[in-house]
Amino acid sequence: MSEPRLKIKLTHCVHETLTIDVDLAISQECVILFGRSGAGKSTLLRLIAGLIRPDSGRIQLDHHCLFDSQIRKHAPLRSRGIGLIYQDDLLFPHLCVAANLGFGLKGRPRGEVVSRVAEIARLCGVDHLLDRAPATLSGGERQRVGLARALAPRPRLLLCDEPVSALDLEGRQSLIARLAAVRRVEGTPTIYITHSPTEALALGSTMLVMEAGTIIDRGTPLEVLGRHGATSMADWSSAQNVFTSVIDSHLANESRIKIDGGPTLIVPTLMRAVGTPLVVRVRADDILLARSQVEGLSARNIVEGTVDQIVRHGDEAEVLVRTGSATWVVSVVPTAVTELGLNPGVEVFMIIKARGCHILDADV
Amino acid sequence: MLSDFAPLWLSLQIATFATCLIVVIGGPISMVLARVSFAGKGLIGGALILPLVLPPTVLGYYLLQVLGREGWIGQGLEHTLGMILVFNPVGAVIASSIAAFPLFLLPARSAWEGVKPDLEDAARLLGRSELSVFTSVTLPLAWRGLAAGAVLAFARALGDFGATLMVAGDIPDRTRTAPIAIYNAVSMGDSATAARLTFAMSMLAITALWLAGRAQPSPARGSRS
Repeated sequence: MSEPRLKIKLTHCVHETLTIDVDLAISQECVILFGRSGAGKSTLLRLIAGLIRPDSGRIQLDHHCLFDSQIRKHAPLRSRGIGLIYQDDLLFPHLCVAANLGFGLKGRPRGEVVSRVAEIARLCGVDHLLDRAPATLSGGERQRVGLARALAPRPRLLLCDEPVSALDLEGRQSLIARLAAVRRVEGTPTIYITHSPTEALALGSTMLVMEAGTIIDRGTPLEVLGRHGATSMADWSSAQNVFTSVIDSHLANESRIKIDGGPTLIVPTLMRAVGTPLVVRVRADDILLARSQVEGLSARNIVEGTVDQIVRHGDEAEVLVRTGSATWVVSVVPTAVTELGLNPGVEVFMIIKARGCHILDADV
Repeated sequence: MLSDFAPLWLSLQIATFATCLIVVIGGPISMVLARVSFAGKGLIGGALILPLVLPPTVLGYYLLQVLGREGWIGQGLEHTLGMILVFNPVGAVIASSIAAFPLFLLPARSAWEGVKPDLEDAARLLGRSELSVFTSVTLPLAWRGLAAGAVLAFARALGDFGATLMVAGDIPDRTRTAPIAIYNAVSMGDSATAARLTFAMSMLAITALWLAGRAQPSPARGSRS
């Protein structure tokens, strides 16, 4: 594991029944902060950002001390180098998108500001919105602009407080795909609060579970969801598989796409050039599982993978299937798990219709 | 006929000075009332908008008692600086300022309250200093409310009659403002002068209302600044 970039050890009394008491270290990764409402997740983010002063402890980011109760240090917000995106995008309503993106770059040479705004706008997919006023943008566009604005000054840490919770499904998928893509390029350590296993699997390399102000579990999203997925913390209601991919080739009446770190899929014809990047979404309910290779099916995709985890909750179960570095969520009824003998490590075949592959956004 | 408009010109001058005074003093006061919690805030806020509900002559009487040559402020200023505040243009400015103050304070306070603290925190996290947050976020978001308040206060100061008459009197070319001149013209049966001044004052009032309406906040506007 690489050297921790963020070290937090703090206690803070929120009210009589909730005290934040955390001791953790985070390196160059995307950490998912998971937990019930009222567990103290948002408060922890606000404590790290400096919006709330902790009662005691120490917070260190890279080699900068942000807070130390012993020497009574509480670094001002402007010098923390932290980007924050909220449920509410909090764009400056009196400034156009370009001015919002350049807001955190004040004092830098004009040429650098212009090129950085153009770069981050392209990465976040808002380069066609630069002259627009925030009030004229959709919810998803506003959140993407909020993401771009937070990342423009190259923060040392990015904090995301349920940034997609107010968006519709398409907006959620789009923002998550952008965030994943930007993280690959910029490598900013990130703490991301969510209730959604899909978001956790799509973004996280480490997952923390918070309860009553303390971290009660830590591991990869797969490990943690396997242990805690059956609880009401998880929102499986709209489980989706979202992957970034590129167009691999065009066939007679269909196209083939290559998922990053995963298999190729046949999808309905795409009117775009080979090599074009895109985002593909497959609903967890739209995938069938088989234990052996099946023939004579109308479905165009049969993808071989290995069961990683099985997460049971209520009358359903989610089977997490790994293909290469991509993890898929497949919804099944619990009896199917028993009858197919599904267990971690078992080889399975995912059956996916070409029309079950939805292309979300063509300019990632 | 041109001399008929001298009171109007005097009114414009007095209202302009009064508005400047109101904005300079009322801006910080409205911000403190909007953002700072302290004991007695409700009482102070209520006292500051009292001129809105007091009869103008009652307000003028109080001011005369405080600012007059026998009043505790007036007497003190006259003894220390040799400055007299009543029955001169300074008195007219003070009287119209106090009468018009609530019309600035109320919209200005709402304007400051309308700026989300989270937006200011977002600006701080993006590396901006307190001064920069104020000039690039707080003020640009609040200025329309402040401007609307200033225009309303200007219109009120322009039309003040009772308080100005009580504090500054009716001295031609010094304190005889347009409302007082209209009253005098009507008293003396000079309907033509009264009508001309009334028409001019009405036009100014309508223009002020239009400007105040134009200054209302509109979230759809964005700029590159």
